[in-house]
Amino acid sequence: MRDYLIRRLLSAVPILIGVMLLTFVLFFVFQTPRAMALRILGPKAPAEAIENWLHNRGYDKPRFLNLRPGARLWDSQFVNHLSALARFDLGHSDATGEPVLEMFKRGMVPSLLITVPVFVAGLCLAVGAALLLVMARESALDLAGALACVMMMSVPYMVWVIFGQWLMGVRLTWFPAFGFDLSGWSTARFLVLPVALAVFAGLGADTRLYRAIFLEEIRQDYVRTARAKGASGRRILFVHVLKNGMISLVTLVVASLPFLIMGSLVLESFFGIPGLGNLMMNAIRTSDFAVVRASVWLGSLLYLAGLLLTDLAYALVDPRVRFR
Amino acid sequence: MPPPAFLASLRFTVALTGAAVFAGCGNDPNPAPLQRVRADGAPWAVSYRALGDDPRSLDPQVSYDTLGHAIISLLYDPPLEYQPFRTDPYELQPCLLESMPERGRDARGRTTYTLRLKRGLKFDDDPCFVATRGRGREIVASDLAYAFQRIADPAVECPVLSVLQESLPGLGEAYAAAKKAGGFDYAKPLAGVEVVDRYTLRLVLSKPYPQILFWLAMPFAAPVPREAVDYYDGKSHGGETREQFRFHPVGSGAFRLVEWRRNRLLRLERRPGYAATRFPSSGWAAGEEARFRPLAGRPLPLIDEIQFSIIRESVPRWLIFRQGWLDSSGISKDVFGSVLDASRELTSAYRARGVQLHRDASPSTFYLIFNMTDPVLGGNRKLRQAIASAYDRDLANEIFFNGTFLKAEQVVPPGVFGYQAGLKNPWLRHDLALARKLLAEAGWPDGRDPATGRPLELTLDTTVDDPESRQMAEFEKGQIEQLGIRVKVIENLWARQQDKVDRGHFQIVTGGWQADYPDPENFFMLFASRNAPPRGSNHSRYANPEFDRLFDRMSAMDNTPERQELVRHLTAILNEDCPLVLLTHPVTYALNQPWAPRVTSNPLVANAAKYISVDLAMRDRLRREWNRSSMWPAWAAGIGLAAMAAGVFLWSAKRDA
Repeated sequence: MRDYLIRRLLSAVPILIGVMLLTFVLFFVFQTPRAMALRILGPKAPAEAIENWLHNRGYDKPRFLNLRPGARLWDSQFVNHLSALARFDLGHSDATGEPVLEMFKRGMVPSLLITVPVFVAGLCLAVGAALLLVMARESALDLAGALACVMMMSVPYMVWVIFGQWLMGVRLTWFPAFGFDLSGWSTARFLVLPVALAVFAGLGADTRLYRAIFLEEIRQDYVRTARAKGASGRRILFVHVLKNGMISLVTLVVASLPFLIMGSLVLESFFGIPGLGNLMMNAIRTSDFAVVRASVWLGSLLYLAGLLLTDLAYALVDPRVRFR
Repeated sequence: MPPPAFLASLRFTVALTGAAVFAGCGNDPNPAPLQRVRADGAPWAVSYRALGDDPRSLDPQVSYDTLGHAIISLLYDPPLEYQPFRTDPYELQPCLLESMPERGRDARGRTTYTLRLKRGLKFDDDPCFVATRGRGREIVASDLAYAFQRIADPAVECPVLSVLQESLPGLGEAYAAAKKAGGFDYAKPLAGVEVVDRYTLRLVLSKPYPQILFWLAMPFAAPVPREAVDYYDGKSHGGETREQFRFHPVGSGAFRLVEWRRNRLLRLERRPGYAATRFPSSGWAAGEEARFRPLAGRPLPLIDEIQFSIIRESVPRWLIFRQGWLDSSGISKDVFGSVLDASRELTSAYRARGVQLHRDASPSTFYLIFNMTDPVLGGNRKLRQAIASAYDRDLANEIFFNGTFLKAEQVVPPGVFGYQAGLKNPWLRHDLALARKLLAEAGWPDGRDPATGRPLELTLDTTVDDPESRQMAEFEKGQIEQLGIRVKVIENLWARQQDKVDRGHFQIVTGGWQADYPDPENFFMLFASRNAPPRGSNHSRYANPEFDRLFDRMSAMDNTPERQELVRHLTAILNEDCPLVLLTHPVTYALNQPWAPRVTSNPLVANAAKYISVDLAMRDRLRREWNRSSMWPAWAAGIGLAAMAAGVFLWSAKRDA
């Protein structure tokens, strides 16, 4: 297992470099560093201010290789950014000068306050609903449930969010239609609506997926054996099927765990929640490359961590799987 | 006895249910005010406003955007400020100064301005004032001088250095010396800034520049305490990391920043002991006498706290305003039709709510820019006039601005000295016959080259940051193509377009200018040949020696009839040469809730919040009225779900049996 881990970690290095290279190239395909400075300093910023800004942030250096006389070959924008990120020096925001690490720390709590409840509640409800449909399989209830799942999946996520915001925030005035206040239990006032909407919007797709997993299990031999031994339908479902179905389910779920940190772009944007999703959106909007590259770096690391965790989890829950 | 795990689960469930029930109580998105009552027992007055983004910096020598100035102007007082009620023409009045600066001449004949500070004004209390144990110290002339030094410090990145260094000696030299030495020498005074005594500062200009007074009303000239700049260095001191000065203002203004939750909220509190300004005693319209006379001379600010919520999207901002949780709002295009009727008045529903509508001409001008160095457009005045003559500005106004904007006939907007009401630009009459005639005279009959028969092809650069820019570019393309000319629209990100404009890599591009200060010099400088990029903002790269000569003369003059005549002359030259297709002077529409009526219509007054007052009883009453919630749908949904769960349970039990 140790060799496997080392191999996986080493293989992550070229992937990370590739992702950062792609981000760097894409970012500067659409705009030059000078254009970025203009966006941040404003259209009236004079040439001296722009030159000064670029110099202070190293954006006046060559992109990849520094061939200027007397300069170090690797003293370039890309290499400097990459080496700083490799040392987990996330740098300072291009737009505000604030340390990016501080921005991430600040955004992580609101993001987790949204994504963790959505994840937990969504998982529980979807598993519950899927088991219910499996229990009622081949009945009118199962058919109605499957139809409802498809209908829920067919409505775009944004529509659920906008409709829910209007209905519960504006029309019924049960919850704030917008905003966030991190102050103890009263924070829940701002979380209930976005969390409920996110759970509801994802329920159709998740239920349908988990239903398929459990249906696969219920056709296995061990279920027939349990039934022959006289186990009740509910016991078979909630003890035997659920336990075995969890093997497939865990691998799906574990992969998404690291992404909880990155927040939700849509929800945070629509409800004004100051999380990492909102931070990323704002960084793209304001051409804050320092925040964008740090976010991409963090996202890539989390993605790779997710893949690794999935493999590990799969081996842990299924003894037949071995690391090679 | 139930097992401990069960009890723990029960406790958690109860807590969660309690939180959920509590969560359902009320839809007020605003955090609780700092206080409920003032020290004197009066109710604590809060104003609730929205900002489109977090300010990038709260350093007055750095920020150069409307959003930043909206906050900085409340935290830092500059030497002068705009009179809130006088807009035609705009008028300056002392703020930190005891009187308007005195103009004079030094022994070498150079123009000087003497600034005398009011005595006893103090910076806000802050731990950075170690010598006074955290008590804010008095503002003195050397603080004003320090602000000018910061403008020249390369590490500060002040965006107006290049403008001010033209008239204020020493700024450019100090900047160059600091670049060379790797740091700014604050011990060395600037050549053009003399500290005469504790409360008096003299500016010595290298050339007459009356506009310096307008710069003294901008945050760039606001004094900042050096102690704060040194103290808040963003570094760790004894294990405690201090903020950077740009995020930790220590000001002299009517308010102080008490909380800044990034992406969410800025909270300002009235600064105790603020004494620099009082409510004006004159200047308002006759119809406002009863409202403002009782406030004349009152200490400012009139409210105790301002909460600025960061709301980037226009729709949620509008929803919250409609529920009464914001005191004021603009009107975005999304809701324009539902708020205003066909005659651009409030609909009856909003009139019944007591909402107040305000329309204000913005001191800005929008236009299409011709690249005067382009071989096709630059040397062919009649071609430019033809394109301008073909443009239907009324239709554009109707389609894109709901018919609300003013048509621009001159580059100078209303309210600025030299604006000529009633002027008609001869090349902006939307006369297609005239346009075709001009086009033929330009050598492109029916938009084609007579030698080859091929149509003239032009490019139009536009931004793709919002769908409206695309639609507008398509409209502009159609307007020009009426003449038989082919137009290729090039879509850019905003920043990319700015870059292209600065490099002159375009033929026609959209542009606009908002007044930094209400003086014609601020608009005509856009056409001075020396201001071509990268040095300045002459994006059309217009070059006319006669214009330059008259511009230099006009810039150095006070507002006299002779200057007025020069402005007329400059306007006529530009209108005839047509380096732009003048389009609009925007008109902004704003709404105020009935409990917080607007005080000033002057768009240059960024610190208007210090003049406003709030009827708290009316706000509480109307908010309750507008946010009555009905709970029956929740009960119905709950009962329905419970019935469904029971049904499923019974069905499964029956099936197992």
